[in-house]
Amino acid sequence: MQDNAHILQDQVQQAITEQQALCIQGGNSKAFYGFAVQADLLDTSGHSGIIEYEPTELVLRARAGTPLIEINSALKQHQQMLACEPPCFSQSATLGGAVAAGLSGPSRPYRASIQDSVLGCTILNGQAQILGFGGKVMKNVAGYDVSRLMAGSLGCLGVILDVTLKVIPSARAEKSFVFTIEPGNSPAFINDLRKRGLPVSATCQLCAQLMVRFSAGNTEIAELENRLKEHYSFIEWRESQDHQFWEQLREHDHPFFDQASTLWRLSLPADADIYGLADKPEDVLSEWGGSLHWLKTTKSADEIFNHASVNNGQATLFRYPAAQQPATIFQPLAPALEQWHKSLKAAFDPLGIFNPGKMYTQD
Amino acid sequence: MACAIRYSATWISAVADPVIREALLSALGKILEAQFILSTREQLKPFECDGLSVYKALPMVAVLPGTVKEVQAIIRLCHQMKVPLVTRGAGTGLSAGAKPDPEGLLLVLTRLSSILEINSATQTARLQPGVRNLAISEAVKQHGLFYAPDPSSQIACSIGGNIAENAGGVHCLKYGLTIHNVLQVSGFTMAGDPVTIGNGGLDNAGLNLLPLIIGSEGMLMVVTEIMVKLLPLPSQVEVILAAFDSIEKAGQAVSNIIAQGVIPGGLEMMDNNAIRAAEDYAHAGYPRDAAAILLIEIDGSAVNVSEQLQSTRQVLQDSGVTSVKIAKTDTEKALFWKGRKSAFPAVGRLSPDYYCMDGTIPRKSLAEVLGYIHTLSEQYGFAVANVFHAGDGNLHPLILFDANQPGQLESVESMGAKILEKCIEVGGTITGEHGVGLEKIRQMPMQFSDDEISQFHSIKAALDPDNLLNPGKNIPLLKHCQEYRALAKNLQPNQLLIQHEPTA
Repeated sequence: MQDNAHILQDQVQQAITEQQALCIQGGNSKAFYGFAVQADLLDTSGHSGIIEYEPTELVLRARAGTPLIEINSALKQHQQMLACEPPCFSQSATLGGAVAAGLSGPSRPYRASIQDSVLGCTILNGQAQILGFGGKVMKNVAGYDVSRLMAGSLGCLGVILDVTLKVIPSARAEKSFVFTIEPGNSPAFINDLRKRGLPVSATCQLCAQLMVRFSAGNTEIAELENRLKEHYSFIEWRESQDHQFWEQLREHDHPFFDQASTLWRLSLPADADIYGLADKPEDVLSEWGGSLHWLKTTKSADEIFNHASVNNGQATLFRYPAAQQPATIFQPLAPALEQWHKSLKAAFDPLGIFNPGKMYTQD
Repeated sequence: MACAIRYSATWISAVADPVIREALLSALGKILEAQFILSTREQLKPFECDGLSVYKALPMVAVLPGTVKEVQAIIRLCHQMKVPLVTRGAGTGLSAGAKPDPEGLLLVLTRLSSILEINSATQTARLQPGVRNLAISEAVKQHGLFYAPDPSSQIACSIGGNIAENAGGVHCLKYGLTIHNVLQVSGFTMAGDPVTIGNGGLDNAGLNLLPLIIGSEGMLMVVTEIMVKLLPLPSQVEVILAAFDSIEKAGQAVSNIIAQGVIPGGLEMMDNNAIRAAEDYAHAGYPRDAAAILLIEIDGSAVNVSEQLQSTRQVLQDSGVTSVKIAKTDTEKALFWKGRKSAFPAVGRLSPDYYCMDGTIPRKSLAEVLGYIHTLSEQYGFAVANVFHAGDGNLHPLILFDANQPGQLESVESMGAKILEKCIEVGGTITGEHGVGLEKIRQMPMQFSDDEISQFHSIKAALDPDNLLNPGKNIPLLKHCQEYRALAKNLQPNQLLIQHEPTA
């Protein structure tokens, strides 16, 4: 537990004076994500600790450097959880890093994304000012919603000092089932499960195997198998006993991710094709009801970005070999949007101190 | 403040430049048919205010485009001529966010009212901004889907306005606000360049700009198309009406329900004044003698609902409930909700005018803040009916007064300012869902420091460098902040409300 806000503020002030760029780092668990930044380190990991956690309010506020495992453990004691199950990728992952990366885990379509969960935050902007936005209540429309803008900003707009999140009660019970179903039929099947009120909380498709997690109260989960028998006798399915599966998927410890030196992440509408980009079907793993795809491919970046764009989605070169210097990592932006990115960067960080080039090479 | 009706604002003389006005009208004539360009006083009068009628002004001109191309041409024209542009949807807003600018153009988007696509495979709908909120759920019902945000004005309000205000509703606690239910918005920058934020997937490319646009009160872009997320209709819905002999017990019951791990679809609270008004108006079957009632909606699968119903009943008993009614039929469920949803007009019958607040507080402070409101009510001599989204801590105290009595409006506004100050003191906000607009602009410096307000101005300047989109709303000028802070302390909040009317 330590409040280092003013130490960080002094470091930013010094960087401004010396016109020296800063690379913001929390637990250094996701340094691979985005372009590498060549700049002095601003280490937020010491600015740590849960500031406020009120289980009956479903609200938790913690400093950016607080390890995610500490937050998850505090929540677990009260049978609560972070709605989006953010990936850690390392024990050292921090809350600030999770919010700045904007990555959500398997439950995202059925519970919330990380940005959905943000209620407020305190930041250091590029003028070394400490600013607070949002708050700790569920509804808050005073001023522009800067706190949710910080989610996924990769530290390009400012240093996140602390974040207030909405948390949710954990489900009392969970079971997962494996269905044999072709990928093209899965989105409709998942929709059907949900329309029947079955409590889907995560999905994962690999070739013709669809794993579905259901989370709810004890009675509902106990009766789940009977309901599946009632409605889905025409397909093959079985209960999964792999209790580590969802964590392994979230943390990329699942065998699919082994030796994936180049890994693409595509967020597309659930009815868009993905297999056209893959050399073979087993190179695609899909989550989120068929709207998030992990892809290993030999296709060119241009082809992948173009496919995402044509399908009204987006692609990210999630992992790439350290020796490689890709020209583009994130989906290219349309001209007006690109201009907005530059203007907003200048509005928060006029001297370009924070994470220069992390998201787009020109930022 | 909202719906404080029947009294007139102070008018001062018009400021529109006749040369600019003529040039604008002439150029608009090349974009739109004459019938969709409104410029006379009689034509403009219906557009002088939104749902908060105390703030009003006639715009220099109002236009009703019927195509996106026309919208773009109008924006480009305003940009070229440096004419302020205020966008208006159905005009149901409660913070004067759509009050026209007397020197500007009012862009009315109600004719863009098509549902462009319903995609049951992706569970999304593409909409033009003029589509009414309720019309979305009605249109997608046949697919077993619904659109979750449901502001009380949903029968009339438009999705474009919902985007501008980040509208909430009674089902926000479980299903989120507008921001949680929109995937993509498209439209134009103030320069008239097309811009699309978000996409058909669940993740955004680049910065997460949807939250910046949604709730920005029409100050950053003009939205002409929206893709919303749809949800499967729950297979079972139960509505509980729980009565309490004290507000404190009802407030505690709200926390206890959440603490047991149940997130109800809706969790609403009304105090005795609101109960009696709603019962007289809607005959919903509310107990007139209760100090407070809770309306609790539990939805989901049959098994889940029955399990949660049982545990909620137990929590209510443990919290000292005096009576519990579970609606037996769909008609009774609708009736329980009708009482709540008609609470504002019902309270409107008790008094010539009412002043509606929108502060939001942590749930645990409910009893404290309600006690404070009660004390203020006695101090100021105004009755208050409390209606609120208890699950979200979003209060709507309705202060009853008569604006025809000299000094009452000023007095009510000072009481309102004190309530908002209290909301901030306990860790809440001045507005949960109605927006800042003009109404709460004087309270913004209570919630934000000058540096924070400067950051808001930098954002505005980054996206609208000429300050043409809905100028003067939402974010106060820094030079006024100290003045507003002083006024809030000195209880003279109405002094800066100068209204304009052009001599059209």
